[in-house]
Amino acid sequence: MRTSLHYDAVVIGAGVAGLTAGTRLAEAGARVCVLAKGVGSTHLAGGTVDVLGYDPGRVEAPARALPAFVEARPDHPYALLGVDAIPPALEWFAQRIERGPQPGYRYLGSLERNHLLPTAVGVARPSALVPETMAAGELGAERPVCLVGVRILREFHASLCAANLARLGVEARRVELGLDIDRPEVNALGLARRFDDPAFRRDFAASLARRLEGEERVGLPAVLGLRDPHGAWSDLEDRLGRPVFEIPTPPPSVPGMRLYEALRAALRAAGGRLVVGATVVGAKRDGAQVSALRVDTAGRETTFGARWVVLATGGFASGGLALGSDWVVRETVLGLPLRGVPLPGTARFLPDYFAEQPMSRAGVAVDATLRAEDLENVLVAGAALPGAEPWREGSGEGISLTSGHRAAELVLAANGLAAAA
Amino acid sequence: MAALSTEVLVIGGGATGAGVAWDAALRGFRVVLADRADLCEGTSGRFHGLLHSGGRYVVKDPRAAEECIAENRILREVSADCIEDTGGLFVTTPSDDEAYADRFAEGCRATGVDCEEVDPAEVLREEPRLHPGISRAFRVPDANIDAWKTVWALARGAHARGGARILPYHAVVGVHRRGDQVTGARVRDVRTGDELDVEACVTVNATGAWAGKVAELAGIEGVRVLPGRGIMIAMNHRLVNTVVNRCQMPTDGDILVPIRTVSVMGTTDVQTDDPDDHTVAQDEVDAMLEDGERLVPGFRQARALRVWTGVRPLFQDTKEDVASTRDVTRSHTLLDHAERDGVGGFVTITGGKLTTFRLMAEEAVDAVCRQLGEERPCTTRTERLRGSEEGEHYHLGERLGRREAGLHDDQLVCECELITRERLEESMRRRGTANLDDFRRVLRLGMGPCQGGFCIYRATGIMHALRGDPSGATPRGDGLTAEQANDALLGFLRERWKGVWPILYGDQLRQARLDDWIFQGVLDVGHLER
Repeated sequence: MRTSLHYDAVVIGAGVAGLTAGTRLAEAGARVCVLAKGVGSTHLAGGTVDVLGYDPGRVEAPARALPAFVEARPDHPYALLGVDAIPPALEWFAQRIERGPQPGYRYLGSLERNHLLPTAVGVARPSALVPETMAAGELGAERPVCLVGVRILREFHASLCAANLARLGVEARRVELGLDIDRPEVNALGLARRFDDPAFRRDFAASLARRLEGEERVGLPAVLGLRDPHGAWSDLEDRLGRPVFEIPTPPPSVPGMRLYEALRAALRAAGGRLVVGATVVGAKRDGAQVSALRVDTAGRETTFGARWVVLATGGFASGGLALGSDWVVRETVLGLPLRGVPLPGTARFLPDYFAEQPMSRAGVAVDATLRAEDLENVLVAGAALPGAEPWREGSGEGISLTSGHRAAELVLAANGLAAAA
Repeated sequence: MAALSTEVLVIGGGATGAGVAWDAALRGFRVVLADRADLCEGTSGRFHGLLHSGGRYVVKDPRAAEECIAENRILREVSADCIEDTGGLFVTTPSDDEAYADRFAEGCRATGVDCEEVDPAEVLREEPRLHPGISRAFRVPDANIDAWKTVWALARGAHARGGARILPYHAVVGVHRRGDQVTGARVRDVRTGDELDVEACVTVNATGAWAGKVAELAGIEGVRVLPGRGIMIAMNHRLVNTVVNRCQMPTDGDILVPIRTVSVMGTTDVQTDDPDDHTVAQDEVDAMLEDGERLVPGFRQARALRVWTGVRPLFQDTKEDVASTRDVTRSHTLLDHAERDGVGGFVTITGGKLTTFRLMAEEAVDAVCRQLGEERPCTTRTERLRGSEEGEHYHLGERLGRREAGLHDDQLVCECELITRERLEESMRRRGTANLDDFRRVLRLGMGPCQGGFCIYRATGIMHALRGDPSGATPRGDGLTAEQANDALLGFLRERWKGVWPILYGDQLRQARLDDWIFQGVLDVGHLER
């Protein structure tokens, strides 16, 4: 076993919740290490910040809808965190993106009004904060839409998207562009790297400009650059002389990767450490405390001493929770007690795909200060928390950001450290 | 009302019905085949994929065993391309009665099922995941057979060779009778509601577990088919490469069939009143996983991809009382209603199993010939199906080979099953259907470990781009509206969920939640406005 390392806080998980908690702690001067098995769920989600999209009808203004929402759901993470905890977390996040490694790239929006942006299938989807590169897709706006499909990208189908937008009353059509890429397929990431290249953008804009009509705004799959999305997007707007917007694609998600890169940079800038490829295989307990984590990195085991642990490993989709073939649900890292798990003998899932699934609200049991049951120094954040249905509610990033941010605040308060601005 | 006149009307587009159409077309009859759903959507498409050697029946039902081995040999010749020659094993596990092995060997000798006892150590070298405690092992000529490929080859062959009209999604709503003669049927296109009268000299009822209902439409009582419902579970890869049976009296959960990219564990047997009841009971799933452990220790740690039910058609003579469906003979039953009920122009063929579909079809068309007073010999014993002309079996890796050849030319739509865009588009043009489940059956679209998570949005988009009107306003020609494309997407997701929710655990649950994230989160398909 290698010499043990010691941190003020070890965060497990590098999704939105884990990176937020880790960065926030590091910024306040704590010695922080974020451990992750792999990159987080950022690469799966669309890159928008959804706070509350449905309740169950579409939510116009999260700020107005949230009080009644938490009132009706005392077990929801928002009820636990308090609605007031959401705005500072969003503000913190927006600042980190603006200071991030992608010059000029920023998020727009607030809790006062949800953006309504098209998905790749052509559904109007509500989000509180959205990358500036998506904002012109607002479906309330009058301008007709021209969607651009490229055959080699399998994750965006302009024809279907346009037809569904037309059903929503949006004047929409599509064009298909051939790209000068000699491959039968390329994924969103591969295409985004091309869009970082000004020469590629110039040729793309030249061939697209000829196909556009009237006052059309231009919808593209979310592939406008990874290193410099602001530059790529504004360059295209300039060249085309019209608003351009991105539409999130199924994974890999380029806007999600930008978000990951920005938070990772913020963590590093604040002196925090990120170890990807690290699997926590055990914990050393000291009474009601976890004093160290045993971590498998690069084929050997290292001990990470920690005064605080923030568990941000996600739900079933991320592997933070697992259901065995013995039908028992487990928290996979520390074996923490759970809440919201359907009782043995009752339905785990229902036959209707779009029904609320009994298993979906399962999560790690925590108290009002996000502490896991019976453990004084383990806090839980993100999709590992019970009581939410992130996709059905349109609440995933809101919960992860707010709980990650709040977990950091709670650790800092317990240590008597002043919360840094 | 549109009308159609033919010599033979076949009701039912499973293996038997398609086999009847093929047989009758080869004998020079004009044929129309109608099924209420897609071809091979019912029992034929819902089994484990086993081409029986007959070994399973050598002790219990020797007649069925003899039929199986005879048909096994014929099908290997005439439908080679639909068969993968995996070979089969009967193994005595520690859970099995050791005395059965000798009875089994004796039964094989008596029925002519090729059987060779082999050293269990040798078997374990070939199939290292098998239970290390097996004490006896026998090799038999089991194999797997792709029912969808077989049925489509039969139907296309019937069309190509005899001009047969194949009408999927045409439900029989009435059987026409003139006095003591059945004169055809009225069918309804379930997609459009259009009805069509099919006038026929002889109508063949090849509707399996539904045969009693169709006979009733013809005014014939007492055709009682006991539906025996069984579940099957597809595991995410080939845990074994040989068909493995437990060497014991046939019972639940005693066979593992490797087929294409998966292996299928089967099956249970529950008597049911409703052949359309596809309920999967939790205890059935648990029992099946336990049974899997007896054959392959660690079975429960593998990913279960999908569970489904099939309904065996077991004909019961109304005069006898049978307690368990497993005790009803697996052999099939031909009812010549002219002889049985004094009603001409109507023949029912039911019971049996997929392995014996050709024999059943032969007997049914022989009865058709008798009714018409014609002598036309059957040629399906030697006539090779389309795609099987070379007599070469399918082998694992065929798709990968094709894919590697076209690696730099064609886009992949489904990574799990290696389906290229060209192949999908060709199928979409040919079928003219908007039901993605139809492509699942033909191409295995969405059948792999991700269960459509990545390919179904792509396939819907490709289908719409190929056949749709991007404005969504006016369908052009056979064009696809946005509503139809949406229904295809949502319909696939709903249908898929039926087969996955009862077996969600482990990594497959994680996969399912990732799929939900894509569909319900990123794409938000739950809010596609009606």
